[in-house]
Amino acid sequence: MKRIPPLVAKELTELRRSPSIFLPAVLTGAAAILYPFIIAIIVPYFAGERLSDSGDFELATQMFRSQPEARGLTPEGAIQAYIFEYALVLMVGLTTVTGSMAVAAHSVIGEKQARTLEPLLATPVTTFELLAAKVLGAALPGIALMVGCFTIYVGAVAIFAEPGVWFMMLTPRSLALVFVMGPLAALLGLQLAVCASSRVNDARSAQQLGALIIVLPIAALQIAQFVGGVVLTAGIILGIALLLCAGNVVLMSIAIRLFDRESILTRWK
Amino acid sequence: MLRVRPESTLTASRLTRRFDTRLAVDDVSFELVPGEIFALLGPNGAGKTTTLRMLGGLIHPTSGSVLLNHQTVTAATASRLRASIGFLTETPGLWERLTVRQNLTVYARLHSVASPALAVDRMLDLFGMSDRARDPAGELSKGLKQRVALARTLLHDPSIVLLDEPTAGLDPQSAHDVRDLVLRLRDERRAVLLSTHNLDEVDRVADRVAVLRTRLVALDTPAALRTRLFGRRIRIELGHDAASHVSMLRASGINDVTMHGAVISVALNEHITVAGLVRRLIESGAAINAVIPEERSLEDVYLRLLEAPE
Repeated sequence: MKRIPPLVAKELTELRRSPSIFLPAVLTGAAAILYPFIIAIIVPYFAGERLSDSGDFELATQMFRSQPEARGLTPEGAIQAYIFEYALVLMVGLTTVTGSMAVAAHSVIGEKQARTLEPLLATPVTTFELLAAKVLGAALPGIALMVGCFTIYVGAVAIFAEPGVWFMMLTPRSLALVFVMGPLAALLGLQLAVCASSRVNDARSAQQLGALIIVLPIAALQIAQFVGGVVLTAGIILGIALLLCAGNVVLMSIAIRLFDRESILTRWK
Repeated sequence: MLRVRPESTLTASRLTRRFDTRLAVDDVSFELVPGEIFALLGPNGAGKTTTLRMLGGLIHPTSGSVLLNHQTVTAATASRLRASIGFLTETPGLWERLTVRQNLTVYARLHSVASPALAVDRMLDLFGMSDRARDPAGELSKGLKQRVALARTLLHDPSIVLLDEPTAGLDPQSAHDVRDLVLRLRDERRAVLLSTHNLDEVDRVADRVAVLRTRLVALDTPAALRTRLFGRRIRIELGHDAASHVSMLRASGINDVTMHGAVISVALNEHITVAGLVRRLIESGAAINAVIPEERSLEDVYLRLLEAPE
């Protein structure tokens, strides 16, 4: 375990010197922040109508206002809170995963292509330490990006939405979503990408594989929420978080088995 | 099974490695003792790098074993035993975006060196890289990168040093510096295994040489290999044409004699000694200017060894 911190520090130092790697993630984060504002603020503003004038959100409003924290909101504020809170899933998922995936997918392949892997494997570093460092080294910037996006998001909600809506972004449920489920989902995706990175020869394949497996469920969860199929209660979030924890443990043990030092050293050119 | 000498620090015992159907290394055995420079020679694809990787615990042999300080390298012990090895890989393999100091510091910490900063400073100083410590590794020349890679190899004070092509692509001065370093490692009682194509380098530094072509073709000291393949010869430079003296020598039963102008070359054996030859030549009236032991180059030895059918 003691070899993980120097390797993570090395990963972060390398990333600091190539910030352009995060450009796609920053753009994704910006898009994920912007789209609920388009729905909840910009379109109603230009259309000259309030969301609460339409009956489309009535059920959602009722569901949402049943929460004690939301009772003080205006009908318009409740709808906005509903949109902004549910959009968090996408923002958290997409920014963290896209922010980290490129880094993770490139991790093992990048070392191999730069011929830096063999000297590294010649040290006492274990496969667990190496993979854990790769995953953490990719996850930490992704999580930092996500926290940054979340801060901007809450700030923008405080400025542009109805009074009190921003506070709904800071309920235990939202915070658990952002600070527990988001990082755990990101770790899962990253482990998938690192697994793929250990087995395939180009970073793009690893990235696509990892992203496909993690982004699809996030998108599905988002859609299910909007159509009312799933309500992310604190209990559901906790359950998903536990599943993600278990998934991360299982995936790390699979990753260690998949990481075949010998074939990486002898077959990859 | 190779009998392991008590002083042996690294032992390769009947090492064999297959990659699918291809046999890369076959039944290779040798050992290294502290303070020895052991050179591994062989053509491309002979299995040198595979052998080094097995010795370094990076890949496992299909059969046979590696002992480091009398402990067998297995999947379970490899990580721990790698701590006693310094492995210079074929390419420097530096993280190019990191500075020289950052590269070395990461490795110092991976090897759990007690004072990483001090160890890095010591290595930077030893390799004359202190003034380049803040430069990104990607900005260094090939020779300087190799120096940093060597510094990285020795950071944790390993007792066994495996060097894969340490002077490949280096300018003569840098190659000379590396050779000096290798000799210094021997003085420090480290066991050094050198895999190289540079026969001149081997001739200058190696105590023993192994020629590998999937199997071990030969293993001995350079001098013993020369004697075994070419015998011992002596070159005698006369002050005049040597033809009549060569005829005299042949008439007296010394058949392996060649002549080039005033120079005679004679193969020595238990019956033909230097003193005996000189005496006969003087008795036949020869004016001898010089008597020089004739030494074949290691390249001749190497090529002769590889001439033999596989």
